[in-house]
Amino acid sequence: MATVEFQGKTFEVDEDGFLQKFEDWSPEWVEYVKEQEGIKEMTDEHQKVIDFLQDYYRKNGIAPMVRILSKVTGYKLKHIYELFPSGPGKGACKMAGLPKPTGCV
Amino acid sequence: MAFVSSGYNPDKPMEGRISDIGPRHYTDFLPPVIQKNYGKWLYHEIIEPGVLMHKAESGDEVYTVRVGSARLVSVGLIREICDIADKHCGGHVRWTTRNNVEFMVDSKDKVGPLKDDLMSRKFAGGSYKFPIGGTGASVPNIVHTQGWVHCHTPATDASGPVKVIMDELFKEFQSMELPAPMRLAVACCLNMCGACHCSDIAVVGIHRKPPLIDHEVLENICEIPLAVAACPTAAIRPSKTEFEGKEVKTVAIKEERCMFCGNCYTMCAALPLADAEGDGCAIMVGGKVSNRISNPKFSKVVVAYVPNEPPRWPSLVKTIRQIVDAYKKGANKYERVGDWAERIGWERFFDVTGLEFSKHLIDDFRDPAYYTWRQTTNFKW
Repeated sequence: MATVEFQGKTFEVDEDGFLQKFEDWSPEWVEYVKEQEGIKEMTDEHQKVIDFLQDYYRKNGIAPMVRILSKVTGYKLKHIYELFPSGPGKGACKMAGLPKPTGCV
Repeated sequence: MAFVSSGYNPDKPMEGRISDIGPRHYTDFLPPVIQKNYGKWLYHEIIEPGVLMHKAESGDEVYTVRVGSARLVSVGLIREICDIADKHCGGHVRWTTRNNVEFMVDSKDKVGPLKDDLMSRKFAGGSYKFPIGGTGASVPNIVHTQGWVHCHTPATDASGPVKVIMDELFKEFQSMELPAPMRLAVACCLNMCGACHCSDIAVVGIHRKPPLIDHEVLENICEIPLAVAACPTAAIRPSKTEFEGKEVKTVAIKEERCMFCGNCYTMCAALPLADAEGDGCAIMVGGKVSNRISNPKFSKVVVAYVPNEPPRWPSLVKTIRQIVDAYKKGANKYERVGDWAERIGWERFFDVTGLEFSKHLIDDFRDPAYYTWRQTTNFKW
């Protein structure tokens, strides 16, 4: 298991760069990941998606379905891709510190 | 090798990005004779095993030579296919829906040299690179999956069993002596990617042991409700346990309810269940997708378990040979395996194939299981 050091913090990550533990998440993680995910500047819209994903995960123990993410944030899927070029799974969930999406992906 | 850029700029990932262009249009690649006679074909003939002729309204003919392929192939082999296409077919070639390769020429005198060329090519180990066959009432290529080559949920291998089954049925590939075409499929787990549920004979990888639970990491790498909802028999429930003095969230599995489908492992990497001795194959028969005479059918399990015996899977191959031989002997012309088994009755099917009927073959999954039992006195001793 690889560890990443960034701005004085240490993160344990898997081979796809997802956090191993949700509790390890900190704002520095977002700064670290945004580079790999093709995001230049974090905006309020980015933050809103990340906040919602984390809230939903804490409350329900799963990541929301794409339709729920869209409906609650008010962002169409197209806009979510504009914010997170790798998409809601690989981009937004990774930044929010959620577990790696599973199934036939 | 040192890094060589394709021109992609990782600092500006969206710059110059081309997306949503879809596949190339198929008409870009049609051989001239196909392009010219598109939608104007009159009839076709199978001239010999592996060679077809299509006649167009204009009087044009196109001859197709179908060859077997391992599906999993190197760029080297694809290049060799391209060389053959360049030499004989004006650079045109196509792949079938069963991953055979078809070379097309526009006159009969070109077929002989093409065939000789194809059959003369062998790998260093002696296998034919491009065996001709797979038409008519034969055994064409086996539709198969990833297996131990690339997947993380398999209970058996795909390429390995397919090679040994095709070795055994090579004569059936090269000839057209069966009552009807016989489609085989291999899937390495119950996900059944491909055509196992609707093939004349299907091999499916199965587990026989419940998953192990990695309590240490489960909570961190899994979305627990997804693992719970993944179970078709509701054997999984959320629970808490002590791990190294700490209370962790995890799941509990009722082993007597688990039927080892592996769905929960697909959703949650902390529930692995592959096992060298436990895993093996089930054999299913009698499926079809065409509407010819009878409706499409699902294949049905007739052998609950054969062990994995790499690299040649002898018991698996022997069982499939038994089924093929009994079918060849017993079925009427045009009867698919499922048509034959339903006509003679499944009790007779087990008789003539010599397969053992065990309790595992009796459906016990939810209400619909009832409809698979016999609610009649019509049966043969």
